[in-house]
Amino acid sequence: MASKNLEVQNLQTDVVVVGGGGAACRAAIEVAERGQNCIMVDKGRPGRSGATPCALWSIQAPFGPRGRDERDSPEQFFEDMVRAGRFIGDQNIVEVVAFTACDRILDMERYGVKFRKYEDGRFYQTPMPGQTYPRSCFMYENGQHMSTVLAKEVSRHKNITVYKDFFVFGLLKNDGVVVGIIGIDMISGQIITINSKSTVIATGGYTSLWGFSDNPPTLTGDSLSMAFRAGAELVDLEFNQYYGTDVIWPPSVKGTVVLYELMIEEFANGEITDKNGVPIIDKPLPIRDEAIKIIFNVIKEGRGTEHSGVWYDTTKSPKGEAAVREVFETMTPKHYHFLIDAAGIDIAKQPIEVAPASHYQCGGIYINEKGQTSLEGLYACGECAGNFQGANRLAGSALCDTQTMGAQAGKYAAEDSKKRDIIPPEKSSIDEHLDMLKNFLSEKKTKTRPIFLKEEILKAMDEYVAPFRSKEGLEKGLSIIEGVRKEVEKIHVPDVGRYNLELREAIETRLAVDAAELTIGAALFRTESRGHHNRIDYPEQDDKNWRCHTIISNDGGKPVYSKRDVIYTRLKPEDVK
Amino acid sequence: MENIIKAKIYRYNPDRDKEPYFQDYEVPIDRRVTVHEFLNIIHRDIDGTLAFRTYKCYKGSCSLCVVKLNGKVVKSCSTPLNPGEEITIEPAGGGEVIRDLVVDFNAM
Repeated sequence: MASKNLEVQNLQTDVVVVGGGGAACRAAIEVAERGQNCIMVDKGRPGRSGATPCALWSIQAPFGPRGRDERDSPEQFFEDMVRAGRFIGDQNIVEVVAFTACDRILDMERYGVKFRKYEDGRFYQTPMPGQTYPRSCFMYENGQHMSTVLAKEVSRHKNITVYKDFFVFGLLKNDGVVVGIIGIDMISGQIITINSKSTVIATGGYTSLWGFSDNPPTLTGDSLSMAFRAGAELVDLEFNQYYGTDVIWPPSVKGTVVLYELMIEEFANGEITDKNGVPIIDKPLPIRDEAIKIIFNVIKEGRGTEHSGVWYDTTKSPKGEAAVREVFETMTPKHYHFLIDAAGIDIAKQPIEVAPASHYQCGGIYINEKGQTSLEGLYACGECAGNFQGANRLAGSALCDTQTMGAQAGKYAAEDSKKRDIIPPEKSSIDEHLDMLKNFLSEKKTKTRPIFLKEEILKAMDEYVAPFRSKEGLEKGLSIIEGVRKEVEKIHVPDVGRYNLELREAIETRLAVDAAELTIGAALFRTESRGHHNRIDYPEQDDKNWRCHTIISNDGGKPVYSKRDVIYTRLKPEDVK
Repeated sequence: MENIIKAKIYRYNPDRDKEPYFQDYEVPIDRRVTVHEFLNIIHRDIDGTLAFRTYKCYKGSCSLCVVKLNGKVVKSCSTPLNPGEEITIEPAGGGEVIRDLVVDFNAM
């Protein structure tokens, strides 16, 4: 890339899919199977980057008689998801997830994903908190295996072209319609626009806007900023799910997930304890929003460990070390060995310090049951899409969503593209992005490096936008973010074409500022406590005023926050005791 | 033991450099770190121009972070270093070097 002359290469296709994780792969496969051409662009490498490879074994599907417990059903899955989401997930979308989950898992099996089965062929399923019947299908080698298989399936389709190391930073429009994306091929430094008939965003969440996160550092909410700037509605960003037991010490393995769900009698039968070894989480295990509250409170009361965590301890398990090791070797083999290799810690024979960390974006881009956003031509699926997990997500719902809503968004994006012509983007829509690049590359008197700005954002989010938050703290956080926004203008990056890591960091920081501001805005707007959003100044759940979505819309570049009714189909809150 | 790790790191930008070369770094470190952390520390505190893959999967399985450490291919996220060590880091091979430690995925 030469800064004086930012030449733009243009590509065209029917459907462009942004992302390379589970949802993006599934959407692209669906587009291809419907006969449309597809370009899939991934910031890293499909099958090996994004959040899906970090996932564990658990993908929910109500197989009933074909699984572990014949009493299970899509209706029960639907109800469990709605209840866990504290009744603010849109049920038209939850229905798609619950009622198509089994079919999508059979698709995965057809692609080559290996599931653990009983001898008679039924799906083996693990019980997870919040599931009325054990519903989590078990993938050997966990999310990494799933990602690799899906990426391989993508590569079998001749009408999908994959661009790796391709960082998308903007949506292109013409007269209010989304007509593609703009990004940079990191390998060559070439700026590329992809002009499409429909566009699917499947870029994962914003969880690494927080410094203590168990997600890859690349997940800082790019798509929220892009969608907002293009004018798409966002929803429920205040609900960032924390996971209760991520490693907090030592730093070399900070953020590694060790599952509290493995502490039940069927598995490791250990305990989460305070600094004195006193168990703090009762069995049956609570669901995630309840688990994190218990752990946060123990730490707040001064019963936490040296590094502000609690102990994940299997050493007193009545099963003994060998049996516990067998559980880790079978259920989460990669994580188990990683902790030994990187930190010298064998969790089958010594406790490890854990604490709640940023884990999953429950809200996101507002969609309907077809994966359509509020903008014509734009679809979203996977973690970056909102309004169906509600205020809290069940174990096994994230991967399940990637496949169910991934296929759905792919289907409607493909069908939509059959009816449309290619419309080129407005010049102004490209120019605004080129201006951003030119500014980063131009010489400046004071040079700011993006990495330090990003650190400020992450620190502010950790400090003021953790699951327990207040008006005062959120306003402090917001003023820090506003300060960072001014500094972004001063970023200077060297004009290097090939793999310009500093430029990627600079653009990510700019997008992260938006995502952080909108998240804090949503958290300030909702004056109640629900799921993963706990306002210490409004500690009660307020169903009268707040059993609704927080909608963020773009009014001339400024965010406007409003309420919108939740869509109830099968289960109205008033019908539940 | 000195609280320092000395590293020779492979640098190459095919657009600008005739030949690859090694750059010497002396990094103050007082605890055990992984190679991936070590590269992040250099990038943050010493030399922002060093290119490498920052992605991590937290379980040593994506292999995006592989590099050659003292001639041997390792996953940088799960390979520890200790203060006092003197090391050489090169790209993992198996594909064209895009810049410094970044190898083109298409050949992987």
